Amino acid sequence: MSDTTLSDSDDQALLPGTAAERAAEDRAGLAAIAPEAVPLLPGEVVKHPSPFQYVMIAVVLCVLTGFEVAVSYMVGDIPDGLIVALLLAMMAFKFVLVASWYMHLRTDMKIFRRFFIAGGALALTVYVIALTTLHVWD
Amino acid sequence: MAQATLPRDDAHGGHDEHGAHARPQTNTGTTNPKLAMWVFLASECLFFGAFIATFLLYRGKSVKGPTPKDVLNIPFTSVTSFILLMSSLTMVLALAAIQRGDHRRFRVWVMATALFGLTFISGQIYEFTEFFRKGLSLKTNVFGSSFFVLTGIHGAHVTVGIIWLLSLWGLSLQGKLHVQNSEAVEIAGLYWHFVDVVWIVIFTVVYLIPK
Repeated sequence: MSDTTLSDSDDQALLPGTAAERAAEDRAGLAAIAPEAVPLLPGEVVKHPSPFQYVMIAVVLCVLTGFEVAVSYMVGDIPDGLIVALLLAMMAFKFVLVASWYMHLRTDMKIFRRFFIAGGALALTVYVIALTTLHVWD
Repeated sequence: MAQATLPRDDAHGGHDEHGAHARPQTNTGTTNPKLAMWVFLASECLFFGAFIATFLLYRGKSVKGPTPKDVLNIPFTSVTSFILLMSSLTMVLALAAIQRGDHRRFRVWVMATALFGLTFISGQIYEFTEFFRKGLSLKTNVFGSSFFVLTGIHGAHVTVGIIWLLSLWGLSLQGKLHVQNSEAVEIAGLYWHFVDVVWIVIFTVVYLIPK
């Protein structure tokens, strides 16, 4: 973990293919980087997504954020209940996208997912009960 | 959790001859730092949940202004939220670069992430300053108290993340960060993405949901 004697060139030597092949792959752009060329990290079960897939997720997140802002300006045009439902649905979808793709919950060991879901579910349960007790939804 | 790491059976610190991470010799099958980060993030759900719940509890209960309608600037915060979202993209690109052993791109992406984070924090400071100018402070009303505490604590988390990222950038510049310890980047990334998902919730609950 703390091997400080290796240089950048040592790292390069550990990678598959020649330097020229890797440079050619870089020039071909983000879509050309094959996830199979990247070593597995601890806890990783399936290869992480490719940079191209990361960019696609970012595009979806941007579009969703745009929709969220647009919906928030529809107060008076559509019922408030519908606005809240739409905003919460889009928020949840964005949350799941980041957690599953960028935090790699869909490709890493299930134990991480279980911890995170347990924490989130516990928080949601505790605070919904607390807020309901205090009549926040009335 | 008991320390369950068994002696490593290889001479590469848990990495095979191709630089890939061998399966760690722990009874969970993963490294303890990564597992610890996930446990920490699970506890952070409860931590931020408390402040979000408090905000909801005091929502619309202020007896005097300024109210959210008077101060919140949705277009401005939408831009800073977009910047924070994009920082998550640059963070995963930084991780992908270090896994490939591409240190130059790693430094570019990690610095971009830190700069996006700094831009977000700058926007938050500007927003807070504007609110103060409009008469909203921590003591003005319950909206001010719950808003500043919630967004301020999130901002503190972002600031810690920026310092962490800049440290990784410095380590890489000194040649102390390698493919073999790219897990350090992944752990920092997990923290950064968590800060991002918390903002996704705060942005919707505090700024967008009508009252």
